[in-house]
Amino acid sequence: MNLNFVWLALGEALSPTTAAYALATIGLVVHFGFTGLLNFGQAGFMAVGGYAFAITTLKLDWPAPFAFLATIAAATLFALILGIPTLRLRADYLAIVTIAAAEIIRLSVKTAELTEITGGATGLNGAGRVFNELNPIPEGRYGFGVLTYTADQLWLRVFGWALVLLACLIVYLLIRSPWGRVIKGIREDEDAVRSLGKNVFAYKMQALIFGGILGGLAGALFILPRSLQPDNYGTQLTFFLYTIMLLGGATTVFGPVIGSMIFWVVLSLSDGLLSLGINSGILPLTTTQQGPIRFIIVGVALALLVVFRPQGLLGNKKEVFFNA
Amino acid sequence: MTDHSSRVRRAFAALVGLLVGFLAVFAAVAAPASAAPASSAPRAAGDVIDPNTAEESIAVWIRQTSDKAGIPGVGVTVIGDDFDQTFTTDAEGRVYVGLPGPGTYSVEVDEATIPAASGTLPDAASPREVRVAQTNKNVPANFLASTTAGGGAAAPAPDETGGSTPAPSNTDEATGAAPPSATTGGTGFWGVVATKLATGLIFGLLLALAAIGASLIFGTTGLNNFAHGELVTFGGLMAYTLASFGAPGWLGILGAIVLGGLFGLVQDTAIWRPLRRRRVGLIPLMIVSIGLALATRYVYVLFYGGDRLTLPNNPAPFLVLGPISLRFTDVFGAVIAIVVLLGVAYVMLRTKLGKAARAVADNAPLAAASGINVDRVIRFVWIGAGALAGLSGVLIAYYQALRWDTGSAILLLIFAAVTLGGLGSAFGALVGSLVLSVFMNLATLVLPENLKYAAALVVLILILLFRPQGILGRKERVG
Repeated sequence: MNLNFVWLALGEALSPTTAAYALATIGLVVHFGFTGLLNFGQAGFMAVGGYAFAITTLKLDWPAPFAFLATIAAATLFALILGIPTLRLRADYLAIVTIAAAEIIRLSVKTAELTEITGGATGLNGAGRVFNELNPIPEGRYGFGVLTYTADQLWLRVFGWALVLLACLIVYLLIRSPWGRVIKGIREDEDAVRSLGKNVFAYKMQALIFGGILGGLAGALFILPRSLQPDNYGTQLTFFLYTIMLLGGATTVFGPVIGSMIFWVVLSLSDGLLSLGINSGILPLTTTQQGPIRFIIVGVALALLVVFRPQGLLGNKKEVFFNA
Repeated sequence: MTDHSSRVRRAFAALVGLLVGFLAVFAAVAAPASAAPASSAPRAAGDVIDPNTAEESIAVWIRQTSDKAGIPGVGVTVIGDDFDQTFTTDAEGRVYVGLPGPGTYSVEVDEATIPAASGTLPDAASPREVRVAQTNKNVPANFLASTTAGGGAAAPAPDETGGSTPAPSNTDEATGAAPPSATTGGTGFWGVVATKLATGLIFGLLLALAAIGASLIFGTTGLNNFAHGELVTFGGLMAYTLASFGAPGWLGILGAIVLGGLFGLVQDTAIWRPLRRRRVGLIPLMIVSIGLALATRYVYVLFYGGDRLTLPNNPAPFLVLGPISLRFTDVFGAVIAIVVLLGVAYVMLRTKLGKAARAVADNAPLAAASGINVDRVIRFVWIGAGALAGLSGVLIAYYQALRWDTGSAILLLIFAAVTLGGLGSAFGALVGSLVLSVFMNLATLVLPENLKYAAALVVLILILLFRPQGILGRKERVG
């Protein structure tokens, strides 16, 4: 019996994809957990960031640091366009507008007319190469057993997790600052904050931009180890991020990191166990039936979490604001 | 209440007006059908790609209806992005076309090269849009020529409608797309407009069936049901299951309605009512519906696979009015939808249950205080919504295609239609669906086909910004 999958699944905890999901979820925590904005379009922010990074590196030949700046600029712009008209809407209206905006982005970049710029339905490939030019780690193989990485793979992991930790630190400091107290106040009672003379709209917009930038950077990080596929940015990406957020704790800073690690390790483990069961004939399924099961697990987990443990693993039940 | 009922009456008038307009469109364009598309001069763009090494390819097979023998030497033109090549069928009537990438390709048979003895293709068969997903090899594009007048009407082969497209890619712009038959167009600009109007109205009626349920659920419980698309898919899948046991079409449709209603009842009893009892907030409820949607959708994949499923359908034109060519199921689907919608209007306006439902939607505590059993009303709303969504699902399956994500792909369209008409209003949902669907189809006059779904979502956002109460909704504070 080959149990390598256990190690590979544990290795998922540190993969760049896990880091990208964690980063995007930190952005979502800023939106939903701290400000109370029901943003269902985080996949749109990731798409905007990913495309900004890929287009500037591949089509305009910008070096990676400038491409990251372009990513931040694009996410800011998207947040402004989205936020100016919608931040005055009720929570569930905002949810529908953001989910629609994310779908508009995904469908627009896919059109054949834009193939020159966005690669159409096939997307863009090779943004990771430009990023690897920055790699300071000498050639060679690092790690042990099945978890051995090339210099480029190691560089990507180090960079990705450094970015996540940096984001955690900034959010941690911001939430403890006067600014953080105001946005938490907006989450609890918008009118009360308004009556104190605070410009609620401006604070909401700042939170939307900040969380959106984290989402955009996550989108860039997400495409470094793979090619950019427009269909990766569908609505279910946002739903995955919500599952991660509710798993770790929607009102915590480190919840998204723990949530993302658990999410991906559990998914890989379940995939591995299913493969094992199917190949040995224990489970009466075919290998093509294996794929859907991970989504069923996510869906059931999301529904159960929000009802039975809305505060997540790290959260405080007293701070669960959305159960009213 | 008088204000409310006058609004309802206005809505009813609007509904009747729209249905009359629907018929007028048919009458107005009853010009003689145009000839088959003229075969153009040989063109070439892009390189010929070896189908054996290409990641994606189309397998064209042209046969005779009578003995299923392949027709050799027929010209076939395949057009896609940066790709425009003409091929000739081999001795078996087949030709394999290597493609530069996934996408939608137009496959056109040069009818002039079909020997007279083999007859002609049905009017609607060529050119045909073939959707090719990533790494899909030999996607079938089968054509049957026949000598009987009226094309393949005499012997429609089950694979005539395009066969299966394997690979569960999560593309969804196929939804709301024109059905294969209704877009042969050809009598100039107004012909195209008429075709798009007809397509838009039919799809709008089917969308309305689903949207009314979603609107009633929102109105009575405040829930934005993200799992409504799965109710729609459920109806289609049930009809498919019944058809695979050999049940006739009408039984499939009836089964979809009954089982859909049952599904709604089970959902309310097992999930939503206990959650209401727990006083779970609206945002968590919405997230529960998202989880439920995700899980249900992939349970469908588990049992039905990721491929497109085809209900037995006759692709031959049944009703040809000028440039508009409709299949039997297109016409019948629209008729069934109109009848059912009128039935819903009757229930909502004239029966005690409908009045109770509207009262709960207006003000639930007040309704409860006046002796209405709110929980019972909500249960009936779920049953009705499930049944309507199930009917919508089976009709959409006949109209375009059925897949595990057929319903979830139109979920945002349902939301857009509900919002456009006015949240919580059944008639608003109907008007919203028709307006949205017609707008979407007419938008393709100036927009690329695959952006029409995006255009509908832009409408959704604009309404929420400028008239959040919708066309027929009541004004209330939304921000």
